[in-house]
Amino acid sequence: MPAPRRPAAPALIHHHRAAAPGSRTVVLIHPGALPATVHRATASALPETTGLTVLDLQGLPAYRRTGLPGTAGTATLDQLVPPLAAEVTRLREAGPFTLGGWSFGGVVAHAVCGGLPAELRPDRVVLLDSIAATEEYTRTDDALEPALLLGWFAMYLGAKRGRPVSGPLPGDAIRDTDEGLATVLRSAVASGALPGDVTLPGLRKLYETYVEGLLHNNRLTARHRPPSAVVPLTLIKAERSLISGDPDLGWGPLAAHGLTVRSCPGDHYTMLGRPDAATVIAHVIQSA
Amino acid sequence: MASVAAQDAQDWLIDKIAHRLGVDRSEVPPEQYFDELDLDSTEALILAGELENWLGFELGTTALWYHPSIKDLAQYIAEESSQRAGAA
Repeated sequence: MPAPRRPAAPALIHHHRAAAPGSRTVVLIHPGALPATVHRATASALPETTGLTVLDLQGLPAYRRTGLPGTAGTATLDQLVPPLAAEVTRLREAGPFTLGGWSFGGVVAHAVCGGLPAELRPDRVVLLDSIAATEEYTRTDDALEPALLLGWFAMYLGAKRGRPVSGPLPGDAIRDTDEGLATVLRSAVASGALPGDVTLPGLRKLYETYVEGLLHNNRLTARHRPPSAVVPLTLIKAERSLISGDPDLGWGPLAAHGLTVRSCPGDHYTMLGRPDAATVIAHVIQSA
Repeated sequence: MASVAAQDAQDWLIDKIAHRLGVDRSEVPPEQYFDELDLDSTEALILAGELENWLGFELGTTALWYHPSIKDLAQYIAEESSQRAGAA
């Protein structure tokens, strides 16, 4: 009797393009939420000689939280560093090398960079709308208010569906999560992001899965205290970042070798897929 | 709590999936694997939430891994539902 067919586990390595000899290699660490293929936009905007590989944390058994066979789960962010540093070392070519990551992936990229031998370090770490895991910028799960989470969820849903979706604003008084989800659902149906027959229990499942992933990363960052950077940092902030009105998302005190901050169009999620944002990201990467 | 029969769960899944995909239910065979359906992750999770609401209990995170086709999942739902009804 043949073994039952199982869905394939997510892949860790997504090669978008190999670097031409002597040209720049870019490795980006991706934490999930959006598919790793979303970085195609950046790959397209980079020169054809520049190599781009994405490491999807969902493909790292130590990171996954699904409880599937072979999934150990992990207690600390530092435990993710050795396997990722080994992959980065294997992937980098002889030419210039840039390491980066989106969102929580930027926090991981910073940690991985610190775990590389000096001769293998990148020329800098590029942080795509990542929030530093410093004490001032980490929160306990309880401190993440529903209105804040629902606003981020609306942003995420809009990016996933390619239509604008709005939710409660931070500080909005909502009775409970379901009231906020009803606001998100009305907005999503009105914009065509979701069909009109999607129900609140259906959207609630999507929201709970989104929040579960976000809290998983939040717990890893809450226990992590990043050291000072060993290379220059470049932060590319989305115009609608997760934290509005913050100049450097907490990276300044860690940037012992300098911090450059650039802005790109879009929000925390759409910045990865928008061609205009990809142009900015590619330009910043190339100008190292 | 009344238990759900495998055929009822299978019919529910096929109806909902056919509706989401905009196809006739005859085009969604019970042997269809979920990851072969033209549903993205958003649609799949919304469907899972609506299924759990209909069942009145949550499916474990590994349910689709162990029961990757409509028929397999419907059978699992019936067994799980029967156990819960018996325990109630």
